[in-house]
Amino acid sequence: MTFSSFAGPFLPELLLLAGVLLIFLLDVLHVSRLEVVGGIAVVATLLALASVIADLGFAPLALLATIPARSIDAVPAAGAAPLFAFTSLGLVFQGLFLLAAFLVALASMSRPSAERGAPIFYGLLLLATLGMLLVAIASDLIFLLLAIEVVSIASYLLVAYTRKDPRGLEAAMKFFVIGALSTVLSFFGASLLFGAYGTTNLYLLRAAGTAVSYPILVLLGYAFLFAGLAFKVTLVPFHAWAVDVYDGSPDDVSAYLAGGTKKIGIFAFFLVFLGPVLAVNAVGSSGYGLFGGSVALGPSFQLALGAIAVLTMTVGNVLALLQKEMKRMLAYSSISQAGYMLIGITIGTAPAIGGATLQVLAHVLMKTGAFLVVGAVAALGVGPLISDWRGLGQRRPLLGTAFALMLLSLAGVPLTIGFASKFVLFSAAVAAQGWFVWLAVAGLLNSALSVFYYARVLRVMFFDAPPAADPALAGAVVGGAGPPALPVGGLGWGRAVTIALIAVLIVALGVYPQVVLGPIQSAAYHFVSLGA
Amino acid sequence: MTALALTGFLGLSAALFGIGIFGILTRRNFILLLISIEIAMNAAILNFVYFAAFPTGASGLSGQSIAVVLVGFAATEVAVGLAIVLALNRVKGTINVARATELKQ
Repeated sequence: MTFSSFAGPFLPELLLLAGVLLIFLLDVLHVSRLEVVGGIAVVATLLALASVIADLGFAPLALLATIPARSIDAVPAAGAAPLFAFTSLGLVFQGLFLLAAFLVALASMSRPSAERGAPIFYGLLLLATLGMLLVAIASDLIFLLLAIEVVSIASYLLVAYTRKDPRGLEAAMKFFVIGALSTVLSFFGASLLFGAYGTTNLYLLRAAGTAVSYPILVLLGYAFLFAGLAFKVTLVPFHAWAVDVYDGSPDDVSAYLAGGTKKIGIFAFFLVFLGPVLAVNAVGSSGYGLFGGSVALGPSFQLALGAIAVLTMTVGNVLALLQKEMKRMLAYSSISQAGYMLIGITIGTAPAIGGATLQVLAHVLMKTGAFLVVGAVAALGVGPLISDWRGLGQRRPLLGTAFALMLLSLAGVPLTIGFASKFVLFSAAVAAQGWFVWLAVAGLLNSALSVFYYARVLRVMFFDAPPAADPALAGAVVGGAGPPALPVGGLGWGRAVTIALIAVLIVALGVYPQVVLGPIQSAAYHFVSLGA
Repeated sequence: MTALALTGFLGLSAALFGIGIFGILTRRNFILLLISIEIAMNAAILNFVYFAAFPTGASGLSGQSIAVVLVGFAATEVAVGLAIVLALNRVKGTINVARATELKQ
């Protein structure tokens, strides 16, 4: 007997829902011990992750598989417009979301046990993850936008969950205003598309192309949807909120916002904009323009996507170069990484979508890891400025090495997952010919630019002398006795294990990317050819 | 519904949307911001109702049901916004967005 007999195809979602309800119920019953609450979250995300991997066809976990293989990547029957559909690319994204949630939940196990609010944190974390899983199986535009809102509303509260910290509350307020604006834009765009096509089913919209009788509705609809979703993905010029929010949030929450929830926007882009891009690719670049004839979105639409991708990479990198605070630098670098992911949807071929998905996986590992290290270092008493980190790599070699691996991967140095993902993505851009080659060139130049600020951090950490009274070393270097660092000392086992796991995964997947590349490319192929 | 009537209704929702967005961008009082968000949201909700009545495609009742769901969703969003503003008012003693300046650009 498999779980499908009583959980249906929704085992991962139901596991998380059960986790949310259980945590909030225990909170009412005054059971708020970190070990219990955090344990529930870790177990729920891990089981859900195993179930998703099983559904993707990983034989050793077949017992946990709940979706019949025939209903994955199946085209909905003519006339039927279901709210959700299982695609293998959606399942890959579910896996990535659950991985991010698992890493953050595990790392948060080493929060100070005197600190209150653990049930709220873990409950909202699971609730946001539940919304992310729904995004990945959405096949209806309204269902997709409502699922995104589940994530957004949970994350507004997550930013302010301490309820006392003025910085967190201010970040939550800014996040809420920008989030509400983006929601309104998205729903207004969706209403115009509903008017033009008479349906909100994403796969019907994709099949309908852009040749309709009311091109102006289609143009405005997609434009408003783009603006709304661009806020979620932090594309330039819709990015300004992200730095303040990542900076003002508690560190574990920043890790989840940058490493996890942001990625729902990428998958939403795949769902919404692949149709117009495929329509443009199919017709070629001759014959019509932005308003030409009855076609609403011509090649200039694709050109605009590409321009925003390049703009996002460049502006993010240049502003990251100018930052003095570690968290704000990582936030800007996160913005520039969103530009790389947008390249995938701009091109719209299966290898490019696969490359962007691999980039999302890399980003989940690198960004979650980097923000978790920042949290760990802050817990050691080191200040927020990059210059406060001087000598840290000499004093805490293991932590320093892990952080160095994450930064090298962000910069795209070979033998890391960041290199593999950029290599696949840029190769796809070159293979797509035409002006897409310039996207690869812009990406390479930007990677080179980003090396400057990552290298600066590495130099400060490993080659500058530590400050005289270094709080990170209190008690560790008494008498100057040898290399001081206890590898786990002061971090707590949750953070130490998570950071080590992420560092190992970055290198292991960088050396053997084919382990994940094969499934991702095949999922991207099925996704692009769905219904074609 | 005739095409002429639809144009009029679309003009109404465009005006509501414009007023709402203008309010979101210019208001500094958080409560007025929430009201602006609601006005703009209602423009989208009205659109779904019009288009369901206007025979562009096989819409059936979907437009009306989407509108009902969105009314519920908008209320949820405002509840969360009010929760944040209450906590902020307790800590900082103001609900003016412009006075929240702990995080520098």
